[in-house]
Amino acid sequence: MRFQNAAKDARAVVYAGIQADPLVARVATLLAGATVAERWLARAAMNGERTDPAAWHRIFPTLFGENVATELRARADQILDASLAVANRGEAARSSYRGAVVEELTARLLATGATIGAPVRRERRVLFDGVPAEIHPYDVTVESTTRPEVYDCKWGARGINADVLNQLDDARAHAAEEDLGLDVAIVVFDARRSCQIRLDRATANRAGTRLVALEDLDGLTGARA
Amino acid sequence: MHEHTGVVERAAEAYRALADLAETVEDEWQYVTDLVDAYLPSIQALAEPDPGLPVSAEAVAAVDEVIAEMALITDPHKAIDWLSTFPHIVALALGGNVDAAAGVQAAAAPDEADNEDSPFRMLMQGDR
Repeated sequence: MRFQNAAKDARAVVYAGIQADPLVARVATLLAGATVAERWLARAAMNGERTDPAAWHRIFPTLFGENVATELRARADQILDASLAVANRGEAARSSYRGAVVEELTARLLATGATIGAPVRRERRVLFDGVPAEIHPYDVTVESTTRPEVYDCKWGARGINADVLNQLDDARAHAAEEDLGLDVAIVVFDARRSCQIRLDRATANRAGTRLVALEDLDGLTGARA
Repeated sequence: MHEHTGVVERAAEAYRALADLAETVEDEWQYVTDLVDAYLPSIQALAEPDPGLPVSAEAVAAVDEVIAEMALITDPHKAIDWLSTFPHIVALALGGNVDAAAGVQAAAAPDEADNEDSPFRMLMQGDR
């Protein structure tokens, strides 16, 4: 098994421009240190109709209420401002930006617990002996020689589908055929409960695929062997 | 002061309206139905066990504001996205929990619940 850079088609080139937008890094940096409530704020604002901060201040009194400490309000405001900047990119672009944010956030959290010899990379394919390469690269990989990991990232639970689950499970199974443990996971910036509801209807084999939902993101920072 | 019951009823009504819009996406009818079956009772349960308990004006305003946000949505695909977000925001405002079936405490996934070393279990306990 080995990792390989994905070939860049026209779509990937356009998407790479979004991934490189400083706004994506700004949002991901803020969300990496955010609480679950702050992540809900970001999800709501990035998916919202209104871009007036005052409306979101009223919707989240636990973050912006009168009794909230000034420094906590300031941090939540930074997250809100960045999230509304994504929303202000317009309906057509915001879905691409949101996807890029989830990928960047995942990579940043994984890098926190990464060790030397296990680099965290983006947009990589996994190749196995005698197996045709998958068309779609993995969003994030942790390329340890002893315990590699691959992650597919989704903005919402609706992104969980048979193709994604099958690709992850196939990779895990092919690695096992080479006597290598490959951890596979799907990261979804959505409620754990919604993801579970989606997964409960999935017919694809997912027994070996880990779910990392919005409430679980901090688990990605765990140190690795 | 306001009562839990009134604001929760308005939230439940807004959720039903959101679901009506979302279910026009025919391919996702099952998912929409599953979300509503799961979350609507949990939203309604936010009024329990003290339906007459006053809640702060700030919390009521928060719920009414997010209901107003839902009323602006016309895209059914966006409505689907909000079906999984709205209940959690309402719960945050009211200080409740919609993470599990109404009347059931949130828990780790059943398959992993008995495995102390499971990374899945550790992730499930990672709330901040």
